[in-house]
Amino acid sequence: MADQVAEAAPSSADDKPQAESDVVIETRNLSKVYRDFWGRQKVQALKALDLEVRKGEIFGLLGPNGSGKSTTIKLLLGLLFPTSGEALIFGRDSSDVGKNERIGYLPEESYLYKFLNAVETLDFYGRLFDMPADVRADRVNELITMVGLDWAKRRQLKEYSKGMTRRIGLAQALINDPELVLLDEPTSGLDPLGTREMKDLILRLRDEGKTVVMCSHLLADVQDVCDRIAILHQGELKELGRVDTLLTVKDMTQVRAESLTKEAEEEIRAVIEKHGGNLVAMENPTTTLEELFLNIVRDSDEKPGRRSTQDG
Amino acid sequence: MTFDQGIPDFGEWLFGGFVVSLIRVALLIVGGFLIGFLISSARRGPVEGFYSVSKVIASSVVDLINWSVPRTIAMAMLAVQEAIRRRVLIAFVVFVVIILFAGWYLDVQSDNPARLYLSFVLTASNYLVVLLALFLSTFSLPADIKNRTIYTVVTKPVRSWEIVLGRILGFVTVGTMLLVPMAIVSYFFVARGLSHDHTVAQVEAASAGDVTHEGETSFDSHHRHTFKMYSDGTGETDVVTSHWHQVTKSGDGDSAAYEFGPPIGLLQARVPVFGSLRFKDRAGADTAKGINVGHEWSYRSYIEGGTLAAAIWTFEGVTPQRYPDGFDLEMNLRVFRTFKGDMEKGILGSIVLRNPDPSAKVRRSEAINFTAKEFSSDKQTIPKSIRVVDNQDGSIRDGDLFDLVDSEGQIEVWVQCGERAQYYGMAERDVYILDHDAPFIANLAKGYVGIWLQMVMVTAFGVMFSTFLSGAVAMMATLSSIVIGYFSTFILDVATGTQQGGGPLEALYRILTQSNVQVDLEIGQAPTSVIQGFDMVFMMFMRAMAGLLPNYSKFSTTQYVAYGYNIDGTLLSIQLITAFCYVFGVSLIAYYLLKNREIAA
Ligand SMILES: Nc1ncnc2c1ncn2[C@@H]1O[C@H](COP(=O)(O)OP(=O)(O)OP(=O)(O)O)[C@@H](O)[C@H]1O
Ligand SMILES: [Mg+2]
Repeated sequence: MADQVAEAAPSSADDKPQAESDVVIETRNLSKVYRDFWGRQKVQALKALDLEVRKGEIFGLLGPNGSGKSTTIKLLLGLLFPTSGEALIFGRDSSDVGKNERIGYLPEESYLYKFLNAVETLDFYGRLFDMPADVRADRVNELITMVGLDWAKRRQLKEYSKGMTRRIGLAQALINDPELVLLDEPTSGLDPLGTREMKDLILRLRDEGKTVVMCSHLLADVQDVCDRIAILHQGELKELGRVDTLLTVKDMTQVRAESLTKEAEEEIRAVIEKHGGNLVAMENPTTTLEELFLNIVRDSDEKPGRRSTQDG
Repeated sequence: MTFDQGIPDFGEWLFGGFVVSLIRVALLIVGGFLIGFLISSARRGPVEGFYSVSKVIASSVVDLINWSVPRTIAMAMLAVQEAIRRRVLIAFVVFVVIILFAGWYLDVQSDNPARLYLSFVLTASNYLVVLLALFLSTFSLPADIKNRTIYTVVTKPVRSWEIVLGRILGFVTVGTMLLVPMAIVSYFFVARGLSHDHTVAQVEAASAGDVTHEGETSFDSHHRHTFKMYSDGTGETDVVTSHWHQVTKSGDGDSAAYEFGPPIGLLQARVPVFGSLRFKDRAGADTAKGINVGHEWSYRSYIEGGTLAAAIWTFEGVTPQRYPDGFDLEMNLRVFRTFKGDMEKGILGSIVLRNPDPSAKVRRSEAINFTAKEFSSDKQTIPKSIRVVDNQDGSIRDGDLFDLVDSEGQIEVWVQCGERAQYYGMAERDVYILDHDAPFIANLAKGYVGIWLQMVMVTAFGVMFSTFLSGAVAMMATLSSIVIGYFSTFILDVATGTQQGGGPLEALYRILTQSNVQVDLEIGQAPTSVIQGFDMVFMMFMRAMAGLLPNYSKFSTTQYVAYGYNIDGTLLSIQLITAFCYVFGVSLIAYYLLKNREIAA
């Protein structure tokens, strides 16, 4: 992947300039060095990051494990203090608690109180936003239904599976109907259906005019939803730009057609050869594993019980 | 019990002690800033440290403006839920079990069972609740930080102030939820444990004055009484193990039946009214203090027997409205014997009541004789109709107690020792008038308020330490603060040299070599100065700590309750204000520490 995108434009210069007030997140020369108890340097987790995220876009932070994605998000939230540089959210310093009114955050693992049940959890976070009781109750029910946990809403979180905890974590991040959502590996631990729902949700949030920043090392997820991405490696920004631009491989053509006869296929092969092209592959398309799984789940939702096999 | 520590005068406390406390709180806050500055300087250099500290101060104003009570309550409720789901209320079960087993080993033959029972239940509640507060408060926040559950909280619009205050409030609620039932169980345990009945064992006719019958009760609850019946059919038992019973008689002759009421005098809250003390020396001249019998810094001073030396208490507010039937005087005099004499008999003395007004119609009462025994408290009833000395001819006639009170409601009580070469020792708080008893239950409740305040302060300190230390370390730090707080008087004594034997190192050396605390160390100049130098620095530190930390023993009013004295409103208000100041100061430090802490590092 990195090889394929290497030739794409390395800066954000290809973006249309936008009004200053549309900038939701801005980092300037943001750096983070983790130190141990004695102040000795342990890891340089982030090196001079300059970013701008605008209102209404889905921004993806990509990178291998340990590349500094979570560190960036924690710096934006004020969970970490920058070693140098600054992070501004809505034009305010990241250490300003007031900004949290408009932010939702899903941590890399759902760090929730295990002794509470789903309703209590969301109610608690709702209280932290000073939400009136009736608004809170409605919002809690709405979110529990949205993340599909109606059937388990009275069970303590310590009984939840990883994916269920993830879902309630997501609901928690959306309790205040935030303008900016920071998602740290939103699809980790989710089943394929959950992953798809998560992606749909992210797109829906964008359609509602919200800004989403997500980080992941699952490129497929990022590719599906993000408008713009930044790729980090060992704390350094390697790539930044629009996904469609970055992913367009200009010197590759892929042919995919339906209901072709053997003769027609031969004809196409001949055409490619005539133009001096080199046929890489041409075969009957297969559905992806993800799609198959989704079909199975959807079918069984409509017709409960044992699913009839393909040949039967 | 003596009122050694005394109940301070509120005004004196306010302008003396309280201002000192405020300075301490201010010092605590400055110290907090200093710690914050040092921590951030260590991380990012002094300039950055200074910048971040001033930023914190500025943003704390913003935090105060945005302080939300519902959010604080939400944090408190979380703490309560956490504690309850962790089943801390089991501590109450432990308490009940302890109490149930206590019945087996509390000394049933004690002279004063109420004192024993009350000390026991109050001490048990005190330790249990303080221990609980210690564990609850110190492990919660570090666990939150370690499990990173705090990430989802601090990324909401929650101020550090609300986290700290919510935690304290929550744990105090849990502690209260435990302490209140403990107090109720304690009361019923004590009341039930002490209540008992007697029946008549034998009775015979007597004819001494008003007394018609004398008898003995049955042996119940490990004691028996003798009792006297009067012609009106009522009677009373003698005082055994600090209580007595009323007796009523019904029927006559062979069919006479005697009924004994519940024990009286066990659960009481006496209200001492203190006076001011001055002295006359052996020649009858005014003097500020009595004689010193050897203890250089002794609390008490002494008057010599068989001379004109006298101790004079002046009591105020002695009005017929307040004491319509006269009053009881309680005396806890010390006796110092220059020769042994008859140890069984006390030392004879006399009380004279005098009118402070020299132009009064009646100047003094007849001398009331009494005997003082070591370490026991005597009660003298001063009736309204009293024998007084006539001003003109010195003859003794019947008079009225309130003739001896001047126009400002003052009366003087002159105490003299009657035996040559024996001494009475006294301090201002050793002789007092007993006002009407206060309700016992209210007093017990006040005792529990003292325990509650200790719990609140321990919680605040625990939360404060847990904002920057890990659970176990925070617990040790809080525990140390409690220990230093409890022994602060002792620590000050060691530091000032009032307590002999030197600091910890010197004391250790003396213990190992079994050397007397009074002799010099026999190890040469250099080692001695090393040991003493170390001790001095250490004790300076300890002294500073003892001065800053709350003196928990001042909050322990279990003694008052157990010994049957009412806890004075002044004392209670002082406790409340002091505790509030500590909690406020400590929460403020906790707030700054938490705010300046890099949560995810
Ligand atoms: N609290 C910490 N103390 C010390 N070093 C840390 C700490 N947190 C992260 N690091 C280091 O910082 C670097 C970046 O970590 P970060 O968590 O940001 O990676 P990431 O991109 O989120 O990785 P992943 O995909 O595994 O979540 C890593 O080298 C990591 O070891
Ligand atoms: Mg990560």
